[in-house]
Amino acid sequence: MNGEKVLVVGGGAGGLLVSNLLVGDGREVTLVTNNPEHYFQPANLFIAFKGESPESYKRSVESLLDPKVRLILDKLSKLDLGNRTALTERGKRLEYDYVIVAAGARMDYNSLPGMKENFEMFGDYYSSPEAAVKVWNTVSRMKNGKLIIGVPDLIIKCPPAPHKGVFLAAEFFKKEKRDVTVELLYPSPHIYTEAELAKTIESKMKSFSNIEYRTSFLIDSVDKDRKVVIGMNGEEIKYDALVLIPFHKGPEIDVNPAEARDDDGFIKVDKRKLNITSYDDAFAIGDCNNAPTSKTGVAAHLGAFVVWKRINGRNAEYSGRTNCPLITDDEAIFVISDYDHKPVGQRFSRLKRLMEDLFVAMYFPSLRYPRKFEPIFDVYFNATEPNILGEKGW
Amino acid sequence: MGDKKTVDARGMACPGPIAKLTRAYREAKNGDVIEILATDQGFIPDIKAWIESTGNKLIELKQDGGVIRAVIEVTAKK
Repeated sequence: MNGEKVLVVGGGAGGLLVSNLLVGDGREVTLVTNNPEHYFQPANLFIAFKGESPESYKRSVESLLDPKVRLILDKLSKLDLGNRTALTERGKRLEYDYVIVAAGARMDYNSLPGMKENFEMFGDYYSSPEAAVKVWNTVSRMKNGKLIIGVPDLIIKCPPAPHKGVFLAAEFFKKEKRDVTVELLYPSPHIYTEAELAKTIESKMKSFSNIEYRTSFLIDSVDKDRKVVIGMNGEEIKYDALVLIPFHKGPEIDVNPAEARDDDGFIKVDKRKLNITSYDDAFAIGDCNNAPTSKTGVAAHLGAFVVWKRINGRNAEYSGRTNCPLITDDEAIFVISDYDHKPVGQRFSRLKRLMEDLFVAMYFPSLRYPRKFEPIFDVYFNATEPNILGEKGW
Repeated sequence: MGDKKTVDARGMACPGPIAKLTRAYREAKNGDVIEILATDQGFIPDIKAWIESTGNKLIELKQDGGVIRAVIEVTAKK
């Protein structure tokens, strides 16, 4: 088969899906990842604020791959787009007809003074399940005072995750009857980046007596000795515990040519075709690319299907669709948007929360058997397209 | 005289132009000028609200065709 050698970089949702899809066509697929484990990232919230076990949300990469995919547990260090070759850290040289980079975003703790020390002390629910356990160790022991969740930057995975953390933490403290206030520090002028959705989220926050929030608060630094977050205007806010959402940068791969990456290291792609700018045999999907949409699993999922179809000669395009769940303990909304539509209006409902739980239950099998699960996702995505939900919202 | 930086947030809906502005503002110092280009209509009320709440200075806000151009002067950093 022409174009039979496929190299996939990364063992996240995008990398697993695209590998399983392409190997099913009879192609020779090699997946390179340095992490033998795949974990369901949104579950970090359940670990951090409900004390759930990380083990329930982890699987080996091997168990999620079609056995015909060749798995190399190593870090990809170099990618030469012109010569169609790649090099791993341990010196393995790989050639390809197609490459799909699905290496995710890299967490950066050095762009803000005090962030690294704060991460070491309190953890976060972005970096890893282990870092989320650290959050739980603090949250579960807090008897009173203030927990701050701070958002220094908005180019982050799952844009509603800071809010989810606030809701779940507040719910925990309320149930436990502890005198702890949860405060969200947010940089945009509304409590969510889109104004209409912000109103919905704001009124939900107001229904909690233990949630506070500040908008247009631009975090400059953290002083761990005085336990204060310092704003860019010099204002200081005191905390007892602080969870900061880390900065997101592109993956640590030396890509040749260097112009294939933007200033933050994200890989430049055509936002609809997802091919790496000016290469028709190289793609980047999910959090590692610079497409002007949210960093979210749904972009990796839909991107994997687009790339699979394009490699098979079909004219599929990625619409920029997002579907980010914003959950409280018992309700949810979904941030649904695409390149041509701002997020549609939403009402909190228990049914949407149930849908999120159903998704969690089908997550791992849907990665392993994407063809079987595609019809279910198709029904959902088609029925909830922004232009179908429209003004009426959902 | 400060530096001038252009932020191109055209075609960016979610998380939106304010996300790109936030990154540029972090790097900026008082006296710098940031020009933002956007196509998201929500950006006009958003940038006005952002200016009002952060205390920076809006030098220009114009719409030409589908493109919104905002020019701000950084004045509110400590």
